[in-house]
Amino acid sequence: MAMTISGTSGVTFPAGGVGNPAGAVVGTTDTQTLTNKTLTSPTLTTPNIDSAQVATVSGTAPIYPCRAWVNFNGTGTVAIRASGNVTSITDNGTGIYTVNFTTAMFDVNYSVTLGARPASSGTNGRSLIAGTTYSTSAVQIQFINAADTAYLDPDVYCVSVFR
Amino acid sequence: MKRIIYPTDDGGVAVIVPAAECGLTIEEIAAKDVPEGKPYKIVDVADIPSDRTFRNAWEYT
Repeated sequence: MAMTISGTSGVTFPAGGVGNPAGAVVGTTDTQTLTNKTLTSPTLTTPNIDSAQVATVSGTAPIYPCRAWVNFNGTGTVAIRASGNVTSITDNGTGIYTVNFTTAMFDVNYSVTLGARPASSGTNGRSLIAGTTYSTSAVQIQFINAADTAYLDPDVYCVSVFR
Repeated sequence: MKRIIYPTDDGGVAVIVPAAECGLTIEEIAAKDVPEGKPYKIVDVADIPSDRTFRNAWEYT
């Protein structure tokens, strides 16, 4: 697969790079296509991936991209709106779903972030929890009415996995 | 649109909803995401009730 890197401030390659002189900077108006190359610790300054520009990064804290995500509706005809690295969700019953990963996680020490929009308004709190399945290939999630611990179907359910 | 159904251990039914972006066929998703040893069926989405009031009473037949 070819990868095209183009930026507005140049792209700096590390020593021992991919055929460029060590530390070479591709000019601001240049575009270089790399095919089957490995970049070791490159410094990319506001590069584009396809047509999307990677946002300018503030500070030096490391970045941990999302490894899997899904947005689906849990009411009516359950359906996935959009997803990444997810083959499917399993509807196990009211308020209980399993997210199945396309490519498995490295281990089970990943972090799951959940968000939901309840199907109905109410004064009771809602609990979003990771359930009984927490494996490298899938994670079960649950949506619960905090007042009586009854399972509920959310109108929108969003799941993100980080590692 | 298709769905995959299989019986759960408690007598209910699980419904697998494929992700359109995953690039796998419905058969490949069934092979991957249905628990090993479970029978399953591939059905049309229209065959799954959209009224989930009694979702936990659904059965696999």
